[in-house]
Amino acid sequence: MNVSWLVAQRELKERIKTRSFIGMAIVGPLLVMLLVYILFSVGENNKPHWNVLIVDPAGIMDNKILANTTGSIGYDFANNYVQLKDFEKSKRFQKYDALLELNEKIISNKAAFLFYKEKPSFLFATSIQFHLERRLEEVMVGRFSKMSVQEFRGIKQPVTIAFRNLYDPKNESYSLSSWVGFFFGGVILLFILLFGMTILRSVSSEKSNRIVEVLLASVKPRQLMFGKIAGIGIAAIVQFIIWTVLIWIGLFILRETLFPNMLHISNWDLSEMTSKTTSGMEDSLFRSKAYNDFVELVYSRIQFGDMLVFFLLFFIGGYIFYGTFFAALGATSGSENDGQQFVLPIMALLIIALWAGYYTVQNPLSDLTYILSFVPFSSPMVCMVKLAQGYSLGEGYQIYVSFIILALSSFATLRIAGRLYQNGILQFGHRLKLTQFVTWLKNG
Amino acid sequence: MLQLTSITKSYFQKIAVDDVSLTLNEGEIFGLLGPNGAGKTTLIRIINRIIEPEKGEVRYHGELMKGKHLAEIGYLPEERGLYKTMTVYDHAVFLGRLRRMSKEEVNRSLNTWLEKFEITSWKNKRIEELSKGMAQKVQFICAVLHEPKLLILDEPFSGFDPVNVELIQNELKSMKKAGKTILLSSHNMKSVEEICDRAALIHQSKKILEGSVLELRENRKDGRFAIKFKGNMLAFTHALWTGFELIEKEELAKDRFVAYVAMRGENNFQDLLKTLIGQIEIEAAWEVLPSMQQIFIETVTGKNI
Repeated sequence: MNVSWLVAQRELKERIKTRSFIGMAIVGPLLVMLLVYILFSVGENNKPHWNVLIVDPAGIMDNKILANTTGSIGYDFANNYVQLKDFEKSKRFQKYDALLELNEKIISNKAAFLFYKEKPSFLFATSIQFHLERRLEEVMVGRFSKMSVQEFRGIKQPVTIAFRNLYDPKNESYSLSSWVGFFFGGVILLFILLFGMTILRSVSSEKSNRIVEVLLASVKPRQLMFGKIAGIGIAAIVQFIIWTVLIWIGLFILRETLFPNMLHISNWDLSEMTSKTTSGMEDSLFRSKAYNDFVELVYSRIQFGDMLVFFLLFFIGGYIFYGTFFAALGATSGSENDGQQFVLPIMALLIIALWAGYYTVQNPLSDLTYILSFVPFSSPMVCMVKLAQGYSLGEGYQIYVSFIILALSSFATLRIAGRLYQNGILQFGHRLKLTQFVTWLKNG
Repeated sequence: MLQLTSITKSYFQKIAVDDVSLTLNEGEIFGLLGPNGAGKTTLIRIINRIIEPEKGEVRYHGELMKGKHLAEIGYLPEERGLYKTMTVYDHAVFLGRLRRMSKEEVNRSLNTWLEKFEITSWKNKRIEELSKGMAQKVQFICAVLHEPKLLILDEPFSGFDPVNVELIQNELKSMKKAGKTILLSSHNMKSVEEICDRAALIHQSKKILEGSVLELRENRKDGRFAIKFKGNMLAFTHALWTGFELIEKEELAKDRFVAYVAMRGENNFQDLLKTLIGQIEIEAAWEVLPSMQQIFIETVTGKNI
């Protein structure tokens, strides 16, 4: 059996038995669920009712929309063009909180713009999106298909609404899903930091208790380093899987207990429903607890398949990229505490990556975002945000380019760190200096 | 079996090993001696392929030393450690598998060694539950678990009490009898004298002595003989007369002595014994050879002791 794999297995067994691993597996998802709960429950009460003007000059919606008119959102239709300036200033539009602009292309590109005066809460945003999508499904089934709405819904693709500030319509912040990407990217960075520090501590302690010399008689330094990074990395993935499962269960429990009113049939005025669904379907549709706007976002709108696949790819790439630095630092330090001072620059890079993610949320189409998505230090974060925002048609290749650059960079850092590891692992008792890094790098 | 030719290694312009050549024959115990910082550990690391020499080569059974040969080598470094949270068994399995053993082979070999050292109850104990001496035994077992043909031990006796030093020494002797080759680096000169067939002394990165332990001691002898006897010291001194010279004496008890005597002229050990018989009661007599400790100190410091 490959010796690196044996080292990785030992490392994995050691990690998953530790209290910190078990604690993090429980506390982490709980914190995330708490955050989700706060996100969805706090801030929903600031505006109890929203009036939305749907500007539909092409008459696509036929002045109908599935809505809970007795509830929190009221819709009116305008079948002529409304200028944003008029909407902002004209008295007749004062009662509206937002303008939902539809044009004839919505049938093909599934995109609409909502201009708001006051930023809608998450719940309102997802509700509006949900209402529009339901109605569009009916329209499309009526126009293009002999299928029933129910059948169509089985094969549907989600609609995207770009939410824009009326007073700043050029700000193209797709904040709703962006933050989901930011969360995923943040988890990558958090895991890189936590498990990177684990690599540092593990290498330092093996070095200080001198077991490393016994190991090096059977394993090459690079194999040892790679095995260690791989073992701790697998532990991180196990941790993430536990998080995913627990968060999934937590979301289900939230949906069933804390937010059931969001999907309860009494919240919907069935008389307002459009006529093209059969009554049996309406019942099954709206009695089903599956249609909760909140859950709709979490379970349907976020492309979890893509997100999780790219999460894993960028996590592995980013983890190896940063992990090699931690391993090299552990191997070159003279004592267990010696390496701590050099952790700061690595942490600074991680903080810059976090900022890059935030910048991407705010400026998804800027040149800097474009560049940061290819820079290996920041690409795991930026690409997750961009993925959540959705790459434009024809730009999907960018995420693969980002990943290839990250993978190649990780390979390069693995080689560089391997050299540092090899030269530093048997040096004891010194005080680490930058000049030593240079010397050890030169001595291949 | 193992041949080192002109090995040279330096760290940051400081030479650690300078043009050292050594040969280890199959089935012998070879002592590698030298003061701290002489370059012994570097040399051992080079043999184990942990570091590479700048010059020179290491051959194992005539072949250039390669990774595949490491499975036949057991190594107990001077600065050794264990994973504190692992059990003895898990530790043995991990290190054994790194040496290409199967789990079953590790288990079988581990049981044999635990029984030999009468410590079978330790098998499932965590390392942190063991005392330092106990952990040292586990380290020794882990080094020999895969029945290596060449065993390299760097200060194997440090940390052991005399009983365990004896135990390890006996094990090494048994391994030698079984045809294993052992390279032993130690400051314990008594052990080196007792169990090593040959030895080399490294000083300031260079090899300055090499030969069989007996040869090294014979070459340094100064013609002194020791007589352990019962009787009168005056009678002993008179008996020596002009043919011999009393160098030194130790009083063991009343009328019991050890006297160190040098020859004068053509006289030899036989003549000395003939002269003394009838004058005193000889209990023992032997030629005084310098100890390895003496040779070590004299060579390293350049002073006679």
